[in-house]
Amino acid sequence: MNRDEFLLEMDEILDLPAGTLRGHEKLEELQNWDSTSLITFIALAETNNGVSISPGQIVTCSTVADLLRLARAESRAS
Amino acid sequence: MAAETTSLQPDVLKALRFPIVVADILRKRNVMKKELLRQANLVPTRIAILGGSTTTEVKSMLELFLLAQGIAPTFYESGYNRYSEDVAFENPDLWNFKPNIVLIHTTWHNISEFPELLEAEGEVEQRVRREMARFESIWEKIHTELGALVIQNNFDLPRLRPLGNLEASESFGRMNFVLRLNAEFAKYARAHSRFLINDILYLSTQVGQAAWFRSSYWYNFHMAVSPTATVALAHNVAAMVKSVYGKSKKCLVLDLDNTLWGGIIGEDGVQNLILGKDHPVGEAFLDFQRYVKGLQRRGVILAVCSKNDAENAKEGFSHPDSVLKLEDFSAFKANWDPKPENIRSIAAELNIGLDSIVFVDDNPAERDFVAEQLPEVAVPNVGTDVSAYAEVLEHERYFEADKVVQDDLSRSAYYNSNAERNAGQSKFSNYGEFLESLEMTAEIASFVPVYLERITQLINKTNQFNLTTRRYTSAEVIAIAGDPRFITLYGRLADKFGDNGLVSVLIGRVSDETLQIELWLMSCRVLKREMEFAMFDGLVEQCQARGIRKIVGVYIPSKKNHMVAGFYASLGFSPVDKASEGSELWSYDVPTTYSPRTRHIRRTAEVQSTVPTPDRESVASEA
Repeated sequence: MNRDEFLLEMDEILDLPAGTLRGHEKLEELQNWDSTSLITFIALAETNNGVSISPGQIVTCSTVADLLRLARAESRAS
Repeated sequence: MAAETTSLQPDVLKALRFPIVVADILRKRNVMKKELLRQANLVPTRIAILGGSTTTEVKSMLELFLLAQGIAPTFYESGYNRYSEDVAFENPDLWNFKPNIVLIHTTWHNISEFPELLEAEGEVEQRVRREMARFESIWEKIHTELGALVIQNNFDLPRLRPLGNLEASESFGRMNFVLRLNAEFAKYARAHSRFLINDILYLSTQVGQAAWFRSSYWYNFHMAVSPTATVALAHNVAAMVKSVYGKSKKCLVLDLDNTLWGGIIGEDGVQNLILGKDHPVGEAFLDFQRYVKGLQRRGVILAVCSKNDAENAKEGFSHPDSVLKLEDFSAFKANWDPKPENIRSIAAELNIGLDSIVFVDDNPAERDFVAEQLPEVAVPNVGTDVSAYAEVLEHERYFEADKVVQDDLSRSAYYNSNAERNAGQSKFSNYGEFLESLEMTAEIASFVPVYLERITQLINKTNQFNLTTRRYTSAEVIAIAGDPRFITLYGRLADKFGDNGLVSVLIGRVSDETLQIELWLMSCRVLKREMEFAMFDGLVEQCQARGIRKIVGVYIPSKKNHMVAGFYASLGFSPVDKASEGSELWSYDVPTTYSPRTRHIRRTAEVQSTVPTPDRESVASEA
């Protein structure tokens, strides 16, 4: 999944119009970044990319781009 | 499917149908929910989810699948693992919520204690009893205090097997213990009408253990079922709820060539059809026919819609290996007309809505055409491989039943005998003579326990001849039946062709000398047979016996009940008022002497039919 595809997917998860997220957004400032969207992110990473991400890893992320880096890093590691 | 779905984006409903792409639902659930909430005429329900583990995903997914069925849930969620305490200590939030349905989302993690190694059989049995007592106290409190329907998960299997295969055979084995508990849950379900099992043991095998339980979700979120498997769980629960609300389909319309048999009957002839155990594809068709026959036996109406000459088409059922026979079908359309027209004709002939029909055809062009022309008809994408047809039908749970009652078993026979009734009509010079010739008898009496299942089923499934379209759960029906503030009536009708079964229900609330009719419905099977007059005669008798001087009728218009808009006027009621939201009040003064309206129905203590009816004792349902 490339960066644009990832951002579009995050737009959907967070119920934002397509093309809203650019990557620099802080997770804590996103209204719909909650436990449900966190679980969705983890489940999609597993389902789509076969990568296992834990909440402990997500805690280290502060922006949307951090999530992308995490997903890619796990993908390379797996 | 729900009313007013044509205005929805088709992708939304498609995403919630087989084959479900879980990732799509996870990603788009917020958008899908907003789109589904735009539907009109959603049926509200209140569902309490009592969890033995985290339930947020269960609630989220269940909401989507219920909305797709035209049901709008409001939820209560217990605190984490508070499924028992919330009920035992009567959590005010739960009690005030007054749920219609309580889903108890427990899993093997919630089993109090498993047997010890080498524990004696007697002690294991005591553990089973203790565990059952614990759950039964929850269920019974919900039933008696909340009056809600209970949907209880049975138990899935523990992930690990320390004893290996001995877990299954030894009485102290954990697998063995889980299966014993599940058997006890099932026994309880058989004996109690307001109790359904959510078979997560089956679901966990369907999705696979590795997908069902994921350690990461358990340890990080205490989710006993993974998010992807929760989609299957929610879909299953929604199927049960839709059945309770009368939204299961009634009729399966089938193509013939390459759907019920391999080959083209008109070209190959019956002798060359591929059907039977001697051929792998033939065996698959045979199994599909067996599956369809099983549906028919429990009350699903079958119909044929085939592009064939009628005689050729019928001949296919004379194949020696054909499990299905002509008489299994209540409607038969084999011609060269467009299939949407034939399906419309089938619906009219059977007097059912298009939204009660499922159409199965191996030909994708025919499927697409019907789906486009008749969006109310469910048209699953069964593909062209017959070995998958039943699986697709299974997955959609179109014909989910919350109970099989006696009347379901004779439904096909009713529709088939109806053809005889209707054929007889042309012989008579006037309609009254025809009605007289039917030799109809009716049993009209207050609700009795043996009929409450069927009464509840009718209440939740009848749309056309239904003055108020009020829906009641089985708990509410039981409560009303025992409440002296209500007059209740059921009506059974039989004639010389057979027993139509229980076909009409009336509920009236008494206040001083007035009775207000809160529910009056009748199955469309018996329209124009004067059954409604027989029910009114019974109602007036009851009112006279109780000193009631006035009957107030309520008519609440809906999209489907226009046929009864003038019903109260036809009975001699006078209009009183137009109440809120277009509903109408009508009034009738109960006379001191009353002449029965029915001319052609004889009232009896018991319905009398010259056609033998199946033995009631053979039905596995609560008496």
